Amino acid sequence: MKALLFIILFSIGLSAFSQEGKKVQFVGGARSLISQSDFTSDVSDTVTAPKTTGGYALIDLGFKINPNENTEVLGMIRIKNQFGGFYGAGVTFDVRQIHVKGVAGKVLRYQIGNIDYKLTPYTFYNHNPDLLVQSLGINKIKEEVLNYESFYKNNNWRQQGAAADFAIQFPKLIQELKFNGFITRLNPSASNVLERLYGGGNVIMKQSKYLTIGVNHVRVFDLLQTADNDNAYRNVVNSISYDLNKDGEKIKLSLDGESGMSKSFSTQNAEGGLSDFFIHVKGQVSFKKCGLKLKMAYMENGADFRSFGAQSKRMDFNQVNSFYDRYTNSQILRPLSYYDLYNDPSLYSSSISTKIMSFNPSINNVLPYGIATFNRKGFYAGFNYSDPKKIIAADVTFYRLGEIRGQGTTQLRSFSYLTSTVSFNLSNWMHWKKKQVFQLGLAYQETNRSSQFTFEQIILKSLTASLGLELEICPDLYLLGSAFLFSSKGNESMPVRTPEGNIINFNEYLVDGREINLSSGIKFNFSKEVYVAAVYESNKNNFSAENPYKYNQILLYYIMKF
Amino acid sequence: MKYYITLSALILVLFSCHKKDSKIDGPSLEDLNGQFSVLSPLAASIDSVDFASGETVYFTALFSKTSEWNLKITGLVSGAVKTMTGTSNELNASSSLWSGETTNLPIFKNENCKVELTFPNETDTLITYVKVLQAKVNSGFLISDFENGFNSGWTSFIQSGANMNFQVLSDASSPQGNKYYNMAGTVNWDWLIGYVYFKSTAYGGAPAFPLSANPNSVYFNVMIYGESGTTNSIVLFQFEEDENSDGIFTAASEDMYAKEIKVDWAGWKLVSIKYSDLEYLVNGVPATPNGNGTHDSNKIKTINMLHLANPNSGFAKSKLDYIIFTENGPLVP
Repeated sequence: MKALLFIILFSIGLSAFSQEGKKVQFVGGARSLISQSDFTSDVSDTVTAPKTTGGYALIDLGFKINPNENTEVLGMIRIKNQFGGFYGAGVTFDVRQIHVKGVAGKVLRYQIGNIDYKLTPYTFYNHNPDLLVQSLGINKIKEEVLNYESFYKNNNWRQQGAAADFAIQFPKLIQELKFNGFITRLNPSASNVLERLYGGGNVIMKQSKYLTIGVNHVRVFDLLQTADNDNAYRNVVNSISYDLNKDGEKIKLSLDGESGMSKSFSTQNAEGGLSDFFIHVKGQVSFKKCGLKLKMAYMENGADFRSFGAQSKRMDFNQVNSFYDRYTNSQILRPLSYYDLYNDPSLYSSSISTKIMSFNPSINNVLPYGIATFNRKGFYAGFNYSDPKKIIAADVTFYRLGEIRGQGTTQLRSFSYLTSTVSFNLSNWMHWKKKQVFQLGLAYQETNRSSQFTFEQIILKSLTASLGLELEICPDLYLLGSAFLFSSKGNESMPVRTPEGNIINFNEYLVDGREINLSSGIKFNFSKEVYVAAVYESNKNNFSAENPYKYNQILLYYIMKF
Repeated sequence: MKYYITLSALILVLFSCHKKDSKIDGPSLEDLNGQFSVLSPLAASIDSVDFASGETVYFTALFSKTSEWNLKITGLVSGAVKTMTGTSNELNASSSLWSGETTNLPIFKNENCKVELTFPNETDTLITYVKVLQAKVNSGFLISDFENGFNSGWTSFIQSGANMNFQVLSDASSPQGNKYYNMAGTVNWDWLIGYVYFKSTAYGGAPAFPLSANPNSVYFNVMIYGESGTTNSIVLFQFEEDENSDGIFTAASEDMYAKEIKVDWAGWKLVSIKYSDLEYLVNGVPATPNGNGTHDSNKIKTINMLHLANPNSGFAKSKLDYIIFTENGPLVP
């Protein structure tokens, strides 16, 4: 009754607010998922429940209020009900996002509260180093869900803090100077843990349409006197980014990149800190008529280069699964699989970590922290092609990199990495009105370290291949299909690090496994932002030779955005 | 165009390239995977050490490869044990410095100590000896280590139950010195078996214990012995604050913080409590204190120690030793 009264009063309040000429909008989304899983392992397992049914319904309800034309207030709550929860049981209420943003004095744009922010790939950037191939079909639905859950969009990090920017335009020499700044909180203070903040900004000078130069600065810093601790941590990154281009009638030439340096230290041990630099230069040629773009780049990221805003991973590979976390009669932990990366959004985080996060060398050993990965040097080259009729599109890049400093030895690892995506738009080819898209993705990595000693030798090969299709069989009704193969074989020597990042030991990593996922389903679009999809999938994993497993799953999604 | 070429060249040469790094990250794999051998035997930096005057001792040894190691120092009289562990190819001052502290009670005495270095993955055991001339002295305000018996300024009450034994005893099991306070008996009609009130006036007539006013820096420490096979003993410490400094603790209007310790372990154990973490307890349940609600560590007038047990649980026994207040951290014995 109280809730009903509250809703009525709130609605009256809102309508009164609207009547004064001020805008109130409802924004958000809703999602429902029902799943039925059937898990089996090849070894005796009378403990794990083979079949589970789960799911949830949730609604993200946001109120976007514009008290005046220069101000926006957004508050969004999430109501989530686990499948089977009734009358309050299994129901949670959370604040999903809240911010105030606007323009002050028609000059300064600001945002306070939740901010989605990035600067440059080496300073503050949310790389995606674990999902190596582009998704289509069913995996695209899953990827959209996990991106929505963790606010992953355009490589931004979702943080709590404040951001502001403004620009100054000039009549001569320089077209525009743009100033951006932000400050966020990484952790609150505790008894002997200092308050840790992350802030920075850049100045971007647009000299002309041919030249843009940016000066970027970010720093992680502890605030002294916020706890019983005098040893404050600092990580400072400064860089220069640039973009030169010459846009001709037939050809466009461009040269862009970023170079800079980092310094990490504790105030009581400044001499024991780390400092290093990085260089990244990329040249591109675009042939406008034929839709071909060629690129070639050189990168060199020092072994002690640390930039936690750009090297934090979306996923911590030390965490435990929430989906069939244990299996077999011994109830061993089920390691994170490639499928879990798509299936479980709760594995992802939006935190900036000031520790070197763990990674899975089978998935990405070449650039585990994205393009900002430290201790890498070499070239990459590739092409991007899109034919004028938009029938075929291809994006291929090949990296040839190596270490700068050896780990446990003076012998250096060398890396090869080929990544490609090819899309066929059959409807454009056949001149059909209905959408028919077919996509192939491939990522192949190879790591080598040769040595006269067997214990120093490393050979690790990994392949991730995906296939996706979306076939519109009648208006708004799609047949979906996805498949991926993930295999890895070889050995690695994985560093064991202290919390400060120093390597104290090495663990031998041996792998010889394969994971195959096949899925199909149908999707019906009620509108561009609302759809329902029914999916059946089968997954087989033998990365553990002693305890291989497989499972089938039926999923029903209902997704809405408004 | 020349301008752009010059500028891009400038950017490219702005930073010189990394040359192949002669350093390596982490321990050498060759060290980790090679044959283990002792290149330099275990040795103490000094033969005898006076911890009371601030001396320290460290141990040295050198191995052919990085290895896990365990260093164990055992007092040959007290049986006190200090352990250190590490992963390295040598022992040095930074990895094996000993200031006289103990890992497992009892506390070290003035005695000879055996020092053993073992390796979990190797069969080798290296041994040396060091003599403790003067054991470590702990700074703080000592309530009692019972070496001088029962202070006449304290008050006590012992129920007239069966097998009652509340007295200062002296034997080799004492975790510090030679004496401790023994508490044992069966009381089948009441939770209380006996108590001792440690009054500040017993220490030169002081109105309160001479402690810092900052409750976050004051730690109360006590060594408690749990009798093997019995887990029914409860030791309750109450800290009466004379907030208005009138020389009397008034329960109705002044704070009394407390800590209830269920002695469910066997052997000696050091219990350390930050004064600001204490709560006002009513029948063991936290409640709102009756006084000003602030932890006035500089106004503690009396410490009540009550030995309790469920009357249906039968014989209860525990022991106390080395009750001491320390500042800026718990006792490191």
